Amino acid sequence: MNYKKLLRRNETALIIAIVILSAVIGAKSPEFFTLANLFDVFRSSFVQLLFALGVLVVIISGGIDVSFPVVGIFSGYSAVVLMQHFEWNPGNILLPVALAILIGILLGALNSIAIASFGIPTLIATLGTSGIFRGILLTFIGSSFISDIPLALDKFATADLLKIQPAEGTLARLHVLIIPIAIITILVSLMLNRTMFGRSIYALGGGIEATRRLGISVKRTQAKVYMFVGGISGLAGILYVSLQRKANPYDLAGSELDIIAAVVLGGASIMGGYGTVFGTVLGVILISLIKGNLILLGVSGSWQRAAIGALLLIGITVQAINESKKAKNRRVSTSDEAAE
Amino acid sequence: MNERFSKLNTGLLADRKVTQLMAITAATFAIFSFVSPDIFFSSANFTSMAYQIPEIAILSIAVMLSMLTGGIDLSIVAISNAAALVAAGIMTSKMGEAETLSTAWIIIACVVGTIVGLAAGAINSLVIAQLNVTPILATLATGTLFNGIAIGVTDGVSVSGLPENFMRVGNGTFFGVPTPFVLMVIIALIVGFFINRTTLGLKVFLVGTNRKAAQYSVMGDRKVIAWVYLISALLSSLAGLIIASRTSAASPDFGSSYILLAIVVVVLGGINPNGGFGTITGVILATAVLQMVSSGFNALRFSQFFYLAAQGAVLIFVMILNVVLERRRVSRSISKSLRS
Amino acid sequence: MSTLLTAEYGVKNIIKSFGGAKALSDVSLSVKSGQVHCIAGENGSGKSTLIKIMSGVHAPDSGQIRLGEKSFSELSPREAVREGVQVIFQDFSLLPNLTVAENIAIPTYISRNSLFFSKRETKKIAESALDLIGVDLDITASVEDISIASKQLIAIARATNLGVKMLFMDEPTTALTRKEIKHLFKVVEQLKERGVATVFVSHKIDEIQEICHTITILRNGEVVADGLMKDFKRDSISEAMTGLNISETRIAPPLKETTEKVIEVKNLKTKPTFSDISFSIAPGEILGITGLLGSGRTELAEAIFGQYPIDSGELIVGEKSIQLNSSSAALKAGIGYVPPDRLTQGLFLEQSILRNLVAVGIDQYQGKGKLLSKNRLTEAGEKWIKDLRIKTKNPSNPVTSLSGGNQQRVVLAKWLAMNPKLMILNGPTVGVDIGSKREILEIIRDRAQEGMAFLVVSDDIPELVQICHRVLVIKNGKISKSFDELELNEEILYEELS
Repeated sequence: MNYKKLLRRNETALIIAIVILSAVIGAKSPEFFTLANLFDVFRSSFVQLLFALGVLVVIISGGIDVSFPVVGIFSGYSAVVLMQHFEWNPGNILLPVALAILIGILLGALNSIAIASFGIPTLIATLGTSGIFRGILLTFIGSSFISDIPLALDKFATADLLKIQPAEGTLARLHVLIIPIAIITILVSLMLNRTMFGRSIYALGGGIEATRRLGISVKRTQAKVYMFVGGISGLAGILYVSLQRKANPYDLAGSELDIIAAVVLGGASIMGGYGTVFGTVLGVILISLIKGNLILLGVSGSWQRAAIGALLLIGITVQAINESKKAKNRRVSTSDEAAE
Repeated sequence: MNERFSKLNTGLLADRKVTQLMAITAATFAIFSFVSPDIFFSSANFTSMAYQIPEIAILSIAVMLSMLTGGIDLSIVAISNAAALVAAGIMTSKMGEAETLSTAWIIIACVVGTIVGLAAGAINSLVIAQLNVTPILATLATGTLFNGIAIGVTDGVSVSGLPENFMRVGNGTFFGVPTPFVLMVIIALIVGFFINRTTLGLKVFLVGTNRKAAQYSVMGDRKVIAWVYLISALLSSLAGLIIASRTSAASPDFGSSYILLAIVVVVLGGINPNGGFGTITGVILATAVLQMVSSGFNALRFSQFFYLAAQGAVLIFVMILNVVLERRRVSRSISKSLRS
Repeated sequence: MSTLLTAEYGVKNIIKSFGGAKALSDVSLSVKSGQVHCIAGENGSGKSTLIKIMSGVHAPDSGQIRLGEKSFSELSPREAVREGVQVIFQDFSLLPNLTVAENIAIPTYISRNSLFFSKRETKKIAESALDLIGVDLDITASVEDISIASKQLIAIARATNLGVKMLFMDEPTTALTRKEIKHLFKVVEQLKERGVATVFVSHKIDEIQEICHTITILRNGEVVADGLMKDFKRDSISEAMTGLNISETRIAPPLKETTEKVIEVKNLKTKPTFSDISFSIAPGEILGITGLLGSGRTELAEAIFGQYPIDSGELIVGEKSIQLNSSSAALKAGIGYVPPDRLTQGLFLEQSILRNLVAVGIDQYQGKGKLLSKNRLTEAGEKWIKDLRIKTKNPSNPVTSLSGGNQQRVVLAKWLAMNPKLMILNGPTVGVDIGSKREILEIIRDRAQEGMAFLVVSDDIPELVQICHRVLVIKNGKISKSFDELELNEEILYEELS
């Protein structure tokens, strides 16, 4: 029974998909199974994962946020602009990170006002604010690409935790970010499962009216959710800038789909109330694998977007079919019980 | 007295949004004519607006239809580009080195392009009406898929150098009126006729108000929804052909900003995002308002990103206004129902 | 009996208006701890406004809320909870995606202002809460997977756990089987022992007579009668509720002898909901179907109309076997269906009365060239407003502007417009005032006299006895008994059901 349950879980399906995909790619090109490639997959997933964790939280709460990539680049770029303007040049990255998170939270707070205070549908609200944020960023803050980012950020791009030189092949570099990202991932998981805020988010996704009657403040929870997404997107944005070693205000826009796809594939229900951090991590890895290795499979890189679209379409269709099956089963089981 | 007054009031209520919009349209026109009498208030500008309005208007009408059923179609731009690319591909391959192409081939190319667009719409219909996937997600996924396929096939390169006689449609005039504008008027009339004068149109409003009740009223709710996404795809394809004809090119990533714009137009045009209410006049007026803002900003040399911010701001502002008015209306109707 | 000091809970001289309309005028009510009190009243009598004032949703214009020693001029929702006022709403306000334990424990965490959440603590809170009311449930199950009766027990456990002193239960028995109601009453006895002042909001006179000690009857926002339950008779309660002396005598028209059948249902079966269902209905016959919730009565009605799957069996309409599992086939064969919940299933709430009236068979309003004929729409709308005496000033007003009874007539009218041979009515008078109920039953009678056949699915026994020629009782998905006109009375039906 438990075994069966495990099999039916979304995470299991994802792990199987990742294993099969890796096997296929590995069979086609042996360089896939090198430490260097593994570490590259990690490196390319860091920013994605942070965004995905934010999106996961919104989706569990029953909403959707399409403004997070713009919030991310807005925060990252503005932090760099601010530091240049005031000629701050600290030795470590704490200041830019703190700045970006703060800016992200502020932008998230604007989403919170539109959604929590005025009850605007979340897609429409965040679509609107993403236009506003992007417009403000490119009109008033800057529209040019900054390549001389603060030294600390630039140096951080190559801060490796360990370097392994295999007997042959390329040097494998594991970026130091793996540790903070792992910690953040665990913290988000703890937040969702071990704090009242986390449980309130699930409650909200389960039903707004019922949540209100439980004594949970719907508005406050919603407001915190969108501020949380803002903050974590800000963090993702500044790390993106650092890893790219340049700040380009046109970046990231349009990347929301990959992230939403990863989260939905990870098992979060778009109707809210369901979703796990572990599933999201797997979803991000799956998307990274596909994006990074299509070429190894002999498919041209220009098919990347189609692959993600197809994957997302399959994911949500399976979810919808499961949902209608579940509804049917439930209908039968209630009459069953009553009929004794 | 009281009775007559309330009758008058309800009669006006349906048109109140349109009346409001007319006032907004006039005000926008007046303001920009005043601040930019030389550039905005010039026949050259009016002509150029008349060429630009139709594309947005037709795409917005497509979004309006899906929104009337309580859904949304985010794949409009992907479909419009796909149709344009297919048509453009056929035309360029048939014309070879020549500058023009026989009318027959142009028509064939447009028909095939439209059929491809309709096929894409059929996929939307299938996924949304038959498999019950939430429209936002479904069309986000299919939109990415269609766009991804377009990028994959074209390698992201745009197809340009279309036949001159084809370009004449998008850049020509019909009795002195720009042809695209004439086409838009015809399409708007047909769609307006469809939603107001056919049984399927009435069903669209009812399904959008309450899907469950539509099911119990046996009006074929799935069929209604399937038709809507098909028609939306048809309109998107036509918009795509008009764009190709005007710009003499088709590209997989043309007009990605049109999605936000179309939603802004539709919401400003008074369509209820939850479905069931809206007029085509509202959509056309809202398109005109936004186009005037765009042209006005251009005349004042504001950046295109400032216009983006303005779009977002308009969207949020209109939604907040709707929410506030709705709250007032609800509290008034509660007190009214208690009194009676 | 309880040895606790008896405290009193309630309101005194409450006045509440909404924008000039009085919802409650000078309402007073008092319940002693350890007592079960009943609030009875029709829709719009002010019951829900009163609950909302007690639970801190609305503030009264004047008057006092008394909770034991304390007295308040108004409460906030949090204060209400802190003072021990709890409401169990009809939908129980549970979260389907969370576990039983979480649903019980979350309010406790909130009242403690906890930041953190632990599985072990949650389990402890939930188990002790269920113990308090003597109920055993799997607390790790998701709420979406459990029965309605269990959901109600969870809601009670949750309330008890928060130190409830005054507990409102809004129509607690509507969704329960007889056996589950007995269990619920046992739990209520436990609450009495613990000194909780329990308030039943209900209009099921038999049940409130069984469990309640005192009663307050509201009408149009005023207390029209109150006192000890034993001083009230069945008729006096309903008379006080409605202000009318409406007899519940039979109004079913005489049935013509005929061998003709409008519909014949043969061996209908859907595992595990119902099986061996066979019956037929004659022209002009009004057949009632009753059964407890979960007996399969609603499913059966929906199955005949093609909205619930049928595994096997036959539906014969006019000598022809019709396609199963298809509402459009049912519609074509002349079957109409009025679903039980008019707000979510029957009406297009924000749309006009007119559009609601023509929502079935829209295609018949085509005029020239397959186009919608506005004239025909308006004509049809006006005809039905007149025929069914729907009270409205303007057919283009939204249907929300109508009262419950008039709304139900709109749903009825949209089907009558199809002139069906068989009309299935599921709970035809749920949530309508008694005056409207009478008129709706009369509409049914008049149509039956003209030869329309009816299948009335209801748990309102007096209503079935009043209107039906024959009543089938469904138990565990099978027809357990059939009563014809001569045998039909309320006692015999209640007996068969319990």
